[in-house]
Amino acid sequence: MTSHEFELENVTVRFPSVTALDSISLTIGTGEQIALVGPSGSGKTTLLRLFNGTVRPSSGCVRVRQVDTRELSSVQLRKLRSQIGFVHQDLSLVPNLNVLQNVLSGRMGRESFAQSLRMILLPISSETANVHQLLKRVGIEDKLFTRTDKLSGGQQQRVAIARALYQQPEAILADEPVSSVDPARANDTIGLLTKICRNDNLTMCVSLHNLDLARKFFPRLIGLREGAIVFDRQTSELNDDEFHRLYQLTEEEMLPDRVES
Amino acid sequence: MRPLTRIFGLRSRVLLGILIAGGWAAWQLQLDFHELLPANRWDTARDFFHAALSPAIVYEDPTPAGTQPLLVKVAKGIWQTICFAMTAISMAIVGGVLLGFLSSSAWWEDDPARDANCLRQLLRNLITPTIVWLTRTFVVLIRSIHELLWAILFLSAMGLNTLTAILAIAVPYTGYFAKVFSEIIDETPRDTAYAIRELGGSPFHVFFFGLLPRALPDMTAYACYRFECALRSSAVMGFFGIPTIGYYLRPAFDEQHFHEVWTYLYALILLIVIVDRWSDLLRRRITQ
Amino acid sequence: MSQRHLEIQSLRLKRPANRFLRFHFLGILILLVTAWIYLDIPWSELFLSRRIDNLQRFAHEIYPYDLRDQPFSFTGFWQWFTKIWSEKGFAATQTTFSMSIVAIILAGSTAMMFVLPASRNVASPEPFLPASQKPQLRRYWPWKMLVTLVRGLFIVARAIPEYIWAFLFIALLGPGAWPAILALAIHNFGILGKLGAEVVENIDPTTPRALRGQGLSRLQIGIVALFPMSLSKWLLFFFYRWETCIREATVLGMLGIVSLGFWARESRARDWYDEMLLFVLLGAMLVLIGDFVSAVTRRWIRRA
Repeated sequence: MTSHEFELENVTVRFPSVTALDSISLTIGTGEQIALVGPSGSGKTTLLRLFNGTVRPSSGCVRVRQVDTRELSSVQLRKLRSQIGFVHQDLSLVPNLNVLQNVLSGRMGRESFAQSLRMILLPISSETANVHQLLKRVGIEDKLFTRTDKLSGGQQQRVAIARALYQQPEAILADEPVSSVDPARANDTIGLLTKICRNDNLTMCVSLHNLDLARKFFPRLIGLREGAIVFDRQTSELNDDEFHRLYQLTEEEMLPDRVES
Repeated sequence: MRPLTRIFGLRSRVLLGILIAGGWAAWQLQLDFHELLPANRWDTARDFFHAALSPAIVYEDPTPAGTQPLLVKVAKGIWQTICFAMTAISMAIVGGVLLGFLSSSAWWEDDPARDANCLRQLLRNLITPTIVWLTRTFVVLIRSIHELLWAILFLSAMGLNTLTAILAIAVPYTGYFAKVFSEIIDETPRDTAYAIRELGGSPFHVFFFGLLPRALPDMTAYACYRFECALRSSAVMGFFGIPTIGYYLRPAFDEQHFHEVWTYLYALILLIVIVDRWSDLLRRRITQ
Repeated sequence: MSQRHLEIQSLRLKRPANRFLRFHFLGILILLVTAWIYLDIPWSELFLSRRIDNLQRFAHEIYPYDLRDQPFSFTGFWQWFTKIWSEKGFAATQTTFSMSIVAIILAGSTAMMFVLPASRNVASPEPFLPASQKPQLRRYWPWKMLVTLVRGLFIVARAIPEYIWAFLFIALLGPGAWPAILALAIHNFGILGKLGAEVVENIDPTTPRALRGQGLSRLQIGIVALFPMSLSKWLLFFFYRWETCIREATVLGMLGIVSLGFWARESRARDWYDEMLLFVLLGAMLVLIGDFVSAVTRRWIRRA
């Protein structure tokens, strides 16, 4: 039996203004690759952030590798986070550092402060070589010493992915990693990400807008809408009808003239 | 068009307010424009401005044997001005970063995921705001007193020595740096800091690698500006007995060696111009 | 393995002028260490018993003279304070405050007249040109000289500290309010001029360019477009510099104008440390009031 990497048991997440997730239960096994799909505001980001402990459930239980996240001390939480790579929607890179330094910062969760300082200011050749190797995998190795804010959006995305990979994590979470990239490049990036994760046997959970992309690369899809799971099954078993229901506008969301017609 | 007239309305009102305040102030001081052209001092003024065209290279009056040549004295004065300014700024930056950090909102932003136990809640709701408030009040106090007034205070307390001058500049400048640094830190986008925290960084990691690099260009620009101000303050300290360029300028003026005075003035101007150009260059390279 | 190292090396060499920054950073560090060593602060001497005694004596002297023999009482303090306030404090505070206002208004109004000739996008043969079109070199020179001249004027004005300007003016004009006001005005003229020119240079050129196309002169463009567009930012700088003016005005008194700085120096000369401290604190209070007014006004302006 495959061990469970992530488990949610009847989890509800309530923010002051809105209920982001409502009684969600799901299980993700180790090595699985799943895509979260759904309209904006459906709770995809909140779900992902439950997994690395950034968001606390208002009720219910979140378990990562059979350990309840609420029971973790701050040191244990840090250790957990250092083993999960997160690619943020806005990338969250340091614009005035170069690519090498941004990627190196991925391992800070495991190092002491003094080591990190030394690493950023005076990286040794083996570290540089490792990063170079990693950047080769994502295709931007010639930008090793370029300042990060001088890269295009797509290239910066790859830097963010490289940073997550440099962590040598056991799982990768990605929040809309290709939302601001053109379709061809999005295809490349997601293809690359899934290939790497399959190679290294990493658990992967990606939230995506683009259904075709999700269907193409991921064996399992979870559909979210307004904080609840609409479907959770293998891609091959899914039919178009369910997809459409996911993205259908409700009466309230529709513009006034459409409703009247 | 309406927003435009509203803006214009506010600015006109501000301008009007300024004019009224100016009128009141002029009346309060009983400003007399005739004082600008005093008859009895015309000769001095004329001599003084005439000397601007020919700054001295050697002393004007014969000096006892063994006195340093004038240009050497000028160079020494400039060098000492720089020394005092640099030492004071280095102290002020260190203190300013520390106090700025403590008085900003950066360090007590809590990780929302961690369980809030009793001790942590006490820390967050009581102790931290107190520390922040205390630091802010302290910073406001030290930066309200001008560095020359600090000089007077330190002179009275510690007598005349190098530390008096350095502290007199360093203490208020720590306040300036602390205020500006805390503002810069508060306004820095937090996304990188959150990302570092989410990959497992400790609070130190979060601050030094998540917040500081993004705040660094603005901080450097302000530090360059403050260094220029420190050079000027250091020069003025000379009037109080500290051996900077002001110390040599004053007796030269009192003895009416106007050519020498202009030599010192030109040296100071040159110094500021060089520092200004250099810091412009540095700022451009950092943001490139 | 070695091929990768070669690749990395070649990438490293292609890096832009990071060397410049590193070199400068190292240079500054060396200069700093030299400065500390040169000044040779006698740290051990500071904690000599003589100095500690001095400090204790000073702490003792700060306590108001008239109240030293009596037990501590608030009314005593209040009387001491009101006496000094009515005799010297109030007038001095007013004078300091007024001087700062007149000085900054002088500085601001004069600087505004020089801002246009100092802005590189206005003072050029073809103002507000798009970057691709370079004007002919022959016509370029006089404008460049004008800009350099005016900017040079700004630098000289601000390079000399207000205190030194005031010192010079007192010798030339005699004691009174004018030396301090002129000193503050000249110094801040330089600063406001430079900041104002930077604001004009950073203006979005589309509207001025359109106006130029309609045939307006540079001055007309300034009045119609540049001035309203930059006014908010100029006002922000104006009030920011006013805060500094108040600070400087409190100390310029030390040179001979009846203001807070003057009384502080007088008190120190007579060893009346209690009064000296009071005047210093009054100065701080004035600065705080000025900061507050300035902050409120700037917030209004920003919100508009």
